[in-house]
Amino acid sequence: MSTQKAGERLELLQGTLDLLILRTLIFGPQHGQGIARAIQQTSEEELLVEHGALYPALQRLEDRGWISAKWGTSANNRKARFYSLTAGGRKQLVKETAKWERLAGAIGRILGRGAEES
Amino acid sequence: MFRRRRKTSDFSAEAEAHIQLEIDRLQESGLSAEGARAAARRAFGNVTQAQERFYEGGRWLWWDGLWQDVRFGLRMLAKTPGFTAVAVLTLALGIGATTAIFSAVYAVLLKPLPFRDSGRLVFIQKKNPPRGWTRNNVSAAEILGWRDQSGAFEDVAAFKQYSCVLNDAAEPEESPCEVASSNLFPLLGATPAMGRTFSGDEDKEEGPRAAILSYGLWRRRFGADASAIGRAIEVNHASYMIVGVMPANFSHLYASPYGTVPAMWLSGMGLSPTDTSNDSWGIGRLKPGITPRQAEAQMDGVSVRIEKMDPNLKGWRAELMNLRTMVSGDTRPALMVLMVAVIFVLLIACANMANLLLARGASRATEFAVRNALGASEGRMVRQLLTESLLIALAGGVLGVLLASWGCKGMAALAPQFLLHAAPDMAGGAADLNVLGFALFSILATTFLCGLAPALRSARPELTDALKEQGRGVGQSVRSRRFRAALVVWEIALAMVLLVGAGLMIRTLVELGRVSLGFNPARILTLRVPLSGDRYRQDRAQADFWERLTAAAQALPGVETASVSRGLPIDGWAGQFFTTADQPNPPAGHVPDANYGVVSPDYFHTLQIPLRRGRRFNEHDNETGDGVVIVNEELARLHWPGQDPLGKRLRPGSPNSGSRWLTVVGVAGDVRSWGAASDVHAELYVPYRQYPWLMPPQYLLVRTSSGLKPDGLISAVVREVHRIDAGLPVADIATMEQIAREPMVEQRMVMALMLSFAGLALVLSALGTYSVLSYAVAQRTREIGMRMALGAQRGNVLRLVVSGGVRLAVLGIAVGIVAALALTRLMTDLLFGVGATDPVTFGAVTAVLGATSLAASYIPARRAINVDPIVALRHE
Repeated sequence: MSTQKAGERLELLQGTLDLLILRTLIFGPQHGQGIARAIQQTSEEELLVEHGALYPALQRLEDRGWISAKWGTSANNRKARFYSLTAGGRKQLVKETAKWERLAGAIGRILGRGAEES
Repeated sequence: MFRRRRKTSDFSAEAEAHIQLEIDRLQESGLSAEGARAAARRAFGNVTQAQERFYEGGRWLWWDGLWQDVRFGLRMLAKTPGFTAVAVLTLALGIGATTAIFSAVYAVLLKPLPFRDSGRLVFIQKKNPPRGWTRNNVSAAEILGWRDQSGAFEDVAAFKQYSCVLNDAAEPEESPCEVASSNLFPLLGATPAMGRTFSGDEDKEEGPRAAILSYGLWRRRFGADASAIGRAIEVNHASYMIVGVMPANFSHLYASPYGTVPAMWLSGMGLSPTDTSNDSWGIGRLKPGITPRQAEAQMDGVSVRIEKMDPNLKGWRAELMNLRTMVSGDTRPALMVLMVAVIFVLLIACANMANLLLARGASRATEFAVRNALGASEGRMVRQLLTESLLIALAGGVLGVLLASWGCKGMAALAPQFLLHAAPDMAGGAADLNVLGFALFSILATTFLCGLAPALRSARPELTDALKEQGRGVGQSVRSRRFRAALVVWEIALAMVLLVGAGLMIRTLVELGRVSLGFNPARILTLRVPLSGDRYRQDRAQADFWERLTAAAQALPGVETASVSRGLPIDGWAGQFFTTADQPNPPAGHVPDANYGVVSPDYFHTLQIPLRRGRRFNEHDNETGDGVVIVNEELARLHWPGQDPLGKRLRPGSPNSGSRWLTVVGVAGDVRSWGAASDVHAELYVPYRQYPWLMPPQYLLVRTSSGLKPDGLISAVVREVHRIDAGLPVADIATMEQIAREPMVEQRMVMALMLSFAGLALVLSALGTYSVLSYAVAQRTREIGMRMALGAQRGNVLRLVVSGGVRLAVLGIAVGIVAALALTRLMTDLLFGVGATDPVTFGAVTAVLGATSLAASYIPARRAINVDPIVALRHE
């Protein structure tokens, strides 16, 4: 979606959160708390996600049709809203991942070069 | 994007579940219930904020805001019912009038005819510019030539108008009908409701005789019985087989000239390439991409070739008209003028509402200042105010659409008959989706036009001033006052233009009424008795019938005179050639013509047409008498200028007709046979007892004794007709006054509508002046009190206020005069006997508008002089 590029650049963090959510859901449906937990754990607690901030992102992804949601029962028998990746979401994940890698690579190169010069 | 809305409660439940899951996990990892709850909440962050973000992230915020605005707006409007009622009513009148006129414009000018690809259909007539003749019948030779040789048409159909007497069974009936070529129906793309249309075989003059009924005739005469198909019907004493029935309304919607509505179509058109008599009309379907002008050019080439066939065709060229235009007649100028007028009314209504909104905005300044101080953005407040305008406009629009359907019925009652035939939807109001769309558009346009400026102004309060003066009716800024004054000037100017338009129409009708028609239409009953069949094949039999009928009518009590004629003034024109003995061989294309009256001796007496020279006809001017003729002044002037016309000789028909010479025995006064607005034409009269006629008499005219209404005689006269021959139909019963009024129906309609628009404009602009001045007086109560305390006389105060109103009026009138001078030129086509810049009208309108403005200023001024200085000084 070309119209969103400008927004993403401005809100890098938000875009990143979207990517992380999509990535987490690749292993199967998960509820909000599970997603927050998973991001925290897989990033070895490096990324501290405020759980409440997750929801606007989830809502946005759902609105765009990249994830879908329905109420279900968690492992410990609690009612929870489970999110799963849609086909569109999968495509988006691939795209976002490639973009992120390019971005990370580019920033890494700049930072690396900067370090040499100093 | 609005497809599903997740409820906020659903989100809350999810957040709740999230925290619960987190508590479970933390408890599993060994935290206490208390500690786990606290940690989970900490990890989640601010729940309320998350909810708010969820809410704002939803695209429903805008709608919710709108809903809020609507509810708030409704509350505010309900709080000031007076303001709301005036605003809604003003807009309802504006939108209603605009919608009504637009529905007429749409039905008459814009709506495509219900035929296949109707944009390519043209009506074919011919014109002869050097002789000043237009819209003439065409001949079969020309139709065939144009169809086959011009290359402009896919097909051309022909029809001629005819008068059909249905003499089978029941009451004999005469109805207009048409002889049509078989391709007329497929060419239009019209299919019969039942049965079939004509076959090619039936086109031949000697082929099988077939008839197609109109829906109306089928219902009236056959009780909508499907078995009518295949039955025989006797038309003009010949038997036709009914082969089909056309759907309802079809008759009205193709271009029958003069608004005739055929009751039936007959076969046997029999187009022959050698037939050069001008008795047909053509309807053509242009090839795709060819414009009527291009087609005319191509047809002219054909005309040049075929005019050699017959000298009478010389100089005639095709004249094409879009079928829609033809069907609607020359109503475009009238409708355009009305459309402009009604848009002016809407603009005035708009200006008035803007004015009301501004005044209201000023009294709500404190409210806006408080909201602004509490953090409402300017945009949010503009939106709130626009929503309120939209609510008013919507209410006004709904009421207006209702008013429009009512107004359309009124308009239909005023409209000329042919227009109702051509546009049956005219009285339908906003029943048409396109018209409804237009109404909706005018509602939205109104909202922004009248709502935006006041909203912008009100939403930008001078915060500190407004709050300081809280509760005391906050003063308006100078700019705001100027703006309101400008609105009133604008209203007065528009009202001026409308009043001038209405004034010009009134003057036109007065002038038309003042024109002497050349005869006296009062107390005359006319009716037509078409004679057909074997019994009246002989001229003598017809003449005998008329003689007996005249005598019988004459003998009726209450009848002053009765007479017979071919045609009636204003109603019909029967132009024919004639030749004078002074110039027996006029060059082809220059044969003189005149309207022929075939009359009984009392005709001049009945219509009170003065005789200028010579004598009237008498009973000796019959079969055995010498051939005589009476000419009108115009004919005498044209052909025998400066000579005595009495004793001159002329003969009817074209130069080689061989008819006998007639001697001029009298000169009759000119009659305006085409209505008051037209010129005088050459006319001649021949006695109905002298044959052969070019055209037989048709009408009986009866003048009643003074004090008697002519329509009271109808049944008695019809009885006399049937006493002579029970098998004869009686048609076109009318009084001469009705007939004389007919050409003015359109002007009358325009006048009536313009007058009501102008009246509305006058009231609205007076309201505007009044509201601005009363507001100013209220604002200046203290100042006025001060002045009076210091010794100002009541007269001074009166002058102070009234002069404010006068200034507005003078400015408005000045602007209005300039605008009217520019715009009334559009009306020229509708005017008669008065110029578009008629100084009398302009003067009278200025006086009316000035007086109204003065009256509107006087009421607030009265209030000002009754100010008690003590109270006023305590006022603030």
